[in-house]
Amino acid sequence: MSFDVGLIFESLPQLIEGLWLTLILLGASLSGGAVLAIPTVWALLHAHRAVRAPAQAYVWMFRGTPALVQLFVIYYGLAQFEWLRETAAWTLLREPFWCCVLAFSLNSGAYTAEILRGAISGVPAAQREEAWTLGFSRSQTFRLVVWPQALRLALPPYSNEVVGMLKATALASTVTLAEITGIAETIAAQTFAPYEVFLAAAAIYLALAWMCQRVLQWIERRLTWPA
Amino acid sequence: MTDVIGWLDEYAWGAWVILRVFCVAAVLTVIFGVLGAAARLAGGWSSRIAGVYVTFFRGTPELLVLLLFYFGSAVTLTAIAQWFDADAGFVDIPPFWAGSLAIALIAGAYATESFRGAFLGVDSGQIDAARSLGLRPWAVLIFVRLPQAWRIALPSFGNHLISLMKDTALVSVIGLNEIMFTAKMATSVTQAPFTMFAVVAVIYLAFTTGLTALLRWLELRANRHLAR
Repeated sequence: MSFDVGLIFESLPQLIEGLWLTLILLGASLSGGAVLAIPTVWALLHAHRAVRAPAQAYVWMFRGTPALVQLFVIYYGLAQFEWLRETAAWTLLREPFWCCVLAFSLNSGAYTAEILRGAISGVPAAQREEAWTLGFSRSQTFRLVVWPQALRLALPPYSNEVVGMLKATALASTVTLAEITGIAETIAAQTFAPYEVFLAAAAIYLALAWMCQRVLQWIERRLTWPA
Repeated sequence: MTDVIGWLDEYAWGAWVILRVFCVAAVLTVIFGVLGAAARLAGGWSSRIAGVYVTFFRGTPELLVLLLFYFGSAVTLTAIAQWFDADAGFVDIPPFWAGSLAIALIAGAYATESFRGAFLGVDSGQIDAARSLGLRPWAVLIFVRLPQAWRIALPSFGNHLISLMKDTALVSVIGLNEIMFTAKMATSVTQAPFTMFAVVAVIYLAFTTGLTALLRWLELRANRHLAR
């Protein structure tokens, strides 16, 4: 056995081909997650228990189980339902790509909703009271006072969610998708050089994670005004 | 539902494997976390090495770390075996140990930061007071700094333990026969994949919920002097 530094550089171009799929999966999952998170956080903060309960159950289930299990329930599991296979949705759901997007979006939606809930609760209650004294309506208070501040509070934990989701996209390789990890597995099996190939893949993920964090830090700085 | 009943003993066995992986990895996580935090606090080159450790394992997908460990160790061990005996075949670390070690290294990187922050978070007045009472340095560490650091570290360390519990699912990818394997086997017989993987999800949900309750109890206990 020998460690071949050259092989790291040889495998990089092939791994970069998987970069696009990784980025597409990341973008689609985070967008899907954001779309799901907004109604979920609305329900989580609702006064009626009957509205809160389903949202709480959703967040509890998706934060309490491994993303790999969620992916397998969707990828292997959905074929069990005859009626689903006859609908138009099946043309998408039989594709591993859309199964990943669905599973990761549901997962991200639960985490993002919880982040937003925390951020909205983190806005001091006095702000709401003052807005009310100034004659703001309930929706104006939320839109103009609470929401902008909550978004800013949500950014640091959301940057962890983005990096977490980036790492979760590697799970797509278990359902045959050729993103960075999937390609790395193929090359490692051909060359029988796991260290070089997997370390090259890790370097790409580290660079991506670093870039995601820098972008979010930049947005955070833009949104922070002097105290 | 009747499909599941016949497989319950297999699921129980798979769940037991998951719990064993979790327990081994949790002990290793504490060890890696303490070593990492000590290195981070020591300064100099050890601090830099620990910094690289934390950055690498927090920024690399868990699955990739697992593959690197399992296949990396297999190639190394096979090469060593063939050095002694040219006819030696494929040698690998059992997936149980390779998997536990890999997920513990990841959780340990997160624990390093929790422990370091907690250790620094102990009120310096407490340390001054302990010293002025004549406590020796080891006594200050054992009786004053560590018990209080534990209390501060508990919430974030608890979250990392819950992540560790979920990471145990990945060990199936390197071939450990745990509940994911049970689900696949049961699916091939019953043709009911949704039911079978949903059972896995329910088992994990029970584990993470139980662990959350345990951690909440530990936190209440650690903060009992604050209760009024």
